[in-house]
Amino acid sequence: MAKLIFLVDDSETMLMSLKHSLEFEGFVVETALDGVLALARLEQGLNPDLIITDMSMPNMNGIELIKNIRAMTKFRFKPILAFTTTTQKHLREESKKVGATGWLVKPVPGKELVAIINQLLQHKN
Amino acid sequence: MNALLEQFLSESRDFLQGIGEKLMQLEDEPDNTEFMVELFRFVHTLKGNSGLFDFPEMTRVLHASEDLMDSVRNGRVNYSQTLADQLLEAMDFVSVLIDEIEGTGELSNQYTNTSAALAKALRALIIDTNLGSDSEAVAILLESSGALEESVEFNVSELELPEATAMQSYRDLKIGNSVIWLMYTPDPECFFKGEDPFFLVRQIPEVIWSSITTSNNAPLAEMDAYDCKLTFQVITSADISELHELFRYVPEEVRFEIITQANDLISPMGEHNNEPVYDDFIEQAQTLLAKNNTEGLRQLTSTMLELSSPALWCSSALRWLLLILELDETNGALHSALLESLHTFSLTIPIIESVVSDEKLLAENDTVHVETVTNAKIDEPTESNSVHLSKEEQARVNAIIHSQKEILNLPNTNNAWLVGRLKAVALTLKGCCQALHKNEALENLDEALNDALAQSSSEPLLVWLETYSKDFESLVEETVETAEITTPAQITNDEVIQETQKPIALKATESEANTEKLDASPEIKFNRRSEDASAAASKTLKVDQEKIDRLMNLIGEMVVAKNALPYLANRAETVFGVRELSREIKAQYAVINRVAEEMQDTIMQVRMMPVSFIFQRFPRMVRDISRKLGKEVHLVLEGETTEADKNIIEALADPLIHIVRNSLDHGLESPEVRAAAGKPAEGKLLIRASQESDRVLIEIIDDGKGIDPDVIKNKAYEKGLIDETTLERISDQDAVNLVFAAGFSTADVISDLSGRGVGMDVVRSAVEKVNGTVGIESQTGKGTRLFLSLPLSMAVTNVMIIESNKQIFGVPMDMVVETVRVPFNQIRNIKQKQTTVLRGRIVPLLSLNDLLAQNVEQVANEDKEFATLIVRVHGENVGILVDDFRETVDIILKPMVGILGGLSGYSGAALLGDGSVLMVLNPRELI
Amino acid sequence: MGIEYKKALAIFSENVSVEDAEGLLDWLVKNPKGKINLAACTHIHAANLQVLMVVKPTIAAESKDENLQKWLNWALAN
Repeated sequence: MAKLIFLVDDSETMLMSLKHSLEFEGFVVETALDGVLALARLEQGLNPDLIITDMSMPNMNGIELIKNIRAMTKFRFKPILAFTTTTQKHLREESKKVGATGWLVKPVPGKELVAIINQLLQHKN
Repeated sequence: MNALLEQFLSESRDFLQGIGEKLMQLEDEPDNTEFMVELFRFVHTLKGNSGLFDFPEMTRVLHASEDLMDSVRNGRVNYSQTLADQLLEAMDFVSVLIDEIEGTGELSNQYTNTSAALAKALRALIIDTNLGSDSEAVAILLESSGALEESVEFNVSELELPEATAMQSYRDLKIGNSVIWLMYTPDPECFFKGEDPFFLVRQIPEVIWSSITTSNNAPLAEMDAYDCKLTFQVITSADISELHELFRYVPEEVRFEIITQANDLISPMGEHNNEPVYDDFIEQAQTLLAKNNTEGLRQLTSTMLELSSPALWCSSALRWLLLILELDETNGALHSALLESLHTFSLTIPIIESVVSDEKLLAENDTVHVETVTNAKIDEPTESNSVHLSKEEQARVNAIIHSQKEILNLPNTNNAWLVGRLKAVALTLKGCCQALHKNEALENLDEALNDALAQSSSEPLLVWLETYSKDFESLVEETVETAEITTPAQITNDEVIQETQKPIALKATESEANTEKLDASPEIKFNRRSEDASAAASKTLKVDQEKIDRLMNLIGEMVVAKNALPYLANRAETVFGVRELSREIKAQYAVINRVAEEMQDTIMQVRMMPVSFIFQRFPRMVRDISRKLGKEVHLVLEGETTEADKNIIEALADPLIHIVRNSLDHGLESPEVRAAAGKPAEGKLLIRASQESDRVLIEIIDDGKGIDPDVIKNKAYEKGLIDETTLERISDQDAVNLVFAAGFSTADVISDLSGRGVGMDVVRSAVEKVNGTVGIESQTGKGTRLFLSLPLSMAVTNVMIIESNKQIFGVPMDMVVETVRVPFNQIRNIKQKQTTVLRGRIVPLLSLNDLLAQNVEQVANEDKEFATLIVRVHGENVGILVDDFRETVDIILKPMVGILGGLSGYSGAALLGDGSVLMVLNPRELI
Repeated sequence: MGIEYKKALAIFSENVSVEDAEGLLDWLVKNPKGKINLAACTHIHAANLQVLMVVKPTIAAESKDENLQKWLNWALAN
């Protein structure tokens, strides 16, 4: 069964680019443009295998989103990756603290992204 | 162009717009952290996106902007006018790049220099960047020295590895593989972070041995399945950088120790026994050893091993001896020590100087390169900029460089070692280059390494060191001396650095925590509102304009088709004589009419846009222009949410910009002039939009010097726009209106801003094109008010159908003042022009047939009255004689295109309900 | 995927996930003589590993996945 990845980023360009490379790798991809929207999708029953969220977004930033997701019982064990940039080193620690599984540094080369996702999802090969 | 690029371009424009706006807002409230955070987010996201494409010129500038904004956000750099200017300039540049990409799909290389210059200028504003990268470099060094310290404490023999594991590790070390011991103690909460420590550990390559323990010894009934109390120990011959990569998310939970002393692994184990048979063996073996007869010794040992019980300590020692004879053939002292241990059951490993120092150097290498390499891998390469090091750091760098030289100069005795040695040196140097931003050196390093590996010689790397050592030495001169500093001394140095760095690091985390708090506080309220928000969001839809236009056309056709029904009803009654059917059709028509009108209305709504679409450009524009002109202007925008049809809004943009420019250029005075006139130095410019019934009113009001009617009059006279009589008699208001006359420009000086050959007459015609009007009021010395009135929508036009010379025409109703029937005998000829008096005013009369150059008299009705359409053109009533009036209808006016587009007398054509085409006149142009 | 509980036997198959650990612990507490069949198992989440390490149930069948079994041997050695 194809794994479902939920991407949260305030940039449609970024979403489009990631979605494209992940779909190419055989993942099913859902997207949301900020934390509030993402949370609403999850509350409505979206059940992704992995969540990747940007850190700086309007309405609800990544840290808050991770906190909120972790508070939902059905997502307590879900892998969550935080999307950071070089200027957000402090957010890596912080995201880990609130429950992120790891982080990625933008822009992520497609190969690396897929390798990390496969590792987190314990994908074969 | 691919969809991603298109998306990128359109989103980038939004971000650039947002950046501009936030900068404007910050100008008024430089301390507003919310704006700052938003601004950072825009720049940050834009940069992130640009990284998806290969536009280095754009990314470089955005990267610098982001770093600058980051410094501002963290309070390291103060927000200033210069900073805003620099950022705006950078964004303008990005905007230019986006235009070029949009046009050609790629970037030409003409921007490289500008990009570099802009990035440099931006970075120059980050006063303490160097401090930032400095502390980073120091941190790297500190971490590595920390690792060094730990490895001093670490003792492999304490691990009590099984013999097979120890032997395998020993073998790996001796053939040049690194052997690493790692201990991983996951966070007790780790299961709630989506982690699976067991899976992670299973990913470790080249595992030689592992031990997994748990400290969970609560009674079963109380055990928490999700409280992780596991500890993993692993010995592996994997590459350390691979391990760092694997554990990159949990670095603080893993301890790595690189086992450097192969001899430390030698620890025979088993039952002690006291059989005399070993005495003979030891004696024989020592004799063979003294004669350097390794082969003999090996055979003797093998035989002895076969005779012994495998579980004995002595057997274990013999197995080790065999292994060492194979891998460390020449180390006679070690062989001897092992033989001696058979007596005592304890092994003292002799230290052989040369080997130890060699390994020490390698060990130092490893720990240093590990940290730098992993850091470099995770992060993007930083932009090249100079790094200033403190004396201690310089000494440290030099020590590292010097060590590399020493290693490269070591005699090449074992090829298996050489490869690892070369790679280790190269990695160390790479780390140094990256930390010190020696990009050029870095580029050539890989080549040197490849050459070295290909030739199995240190030479190419030594050459590289010779070439670039100046780069490193320029940091400090006394290379040789500092290299003499011993390890303990270095540690002391590091401690000093550590002490001085600590407070800074603490401060940084504090301020970061603060910004995070600010980040977080406004968001709490969104928790509750998440449902509303999702509902609201699901209602928003981005639609291609083309689709809306198509919908618009369809509804237009629908309206036309609908209009055919009354004709049909009429025919049913008059032609077929079925009155009943006629009535039913009319009833149906009423329903369809209502629905169609509602549909039309709704689609109009979709096409509506707020005027803020144009207004948002003004803050930036006003700021730039007023600065150029040395004027102080306070801009006030009102009614930005007022909406109008997209086409209207778009048509409004250029005229409005021109008007604002004019106000700044000619209207508002310089601060000195204003002060002299007793006005506040700062001029006020108000741009206000409001809705008045079905029209949008836009006013541009300034408190400048106003328009002097006398100046206008004289100028108009000079230019031949008015004659002497008019000059004498024209009212002040009419004089002011002359600015809209074609070919009029009041600019005394052709400035950079106005005087582009576009006068107010162009503004007027642009506004009139969309059925708008423009007016001006002015009070000398006090200011000017310009107002534009535009229809809310131009999709549907209400026209009156008139008949003339057996044809029908439409005339837009908003131009028609009234319709009258003028009796034949009330038409007077004044100066060969027909006129009539209407409610005491003389109205000039024109015949439509004449206007259309048809040589036919207008037809009067039976009472000898002429149907006359009174229209208002340029503020004056004019009567147009036609043959007859008909009904008024709503039509979708289609502008004429192609050759017909040049016929300015018509504003367009429309389809009527019966399928015929109605030409709609443009009286303004006709007359 | 997951654990199938028989009378006195828990059969692990393929990947046993973190969600299964709580159930496994409960089952082992209620069935102290319960045995584990790992034959078809390819991976167990660390939470399950910890449960097995603490409870030390009898392993009725080892995993056919050699790599997993190697690690289980290290983990369940004591």
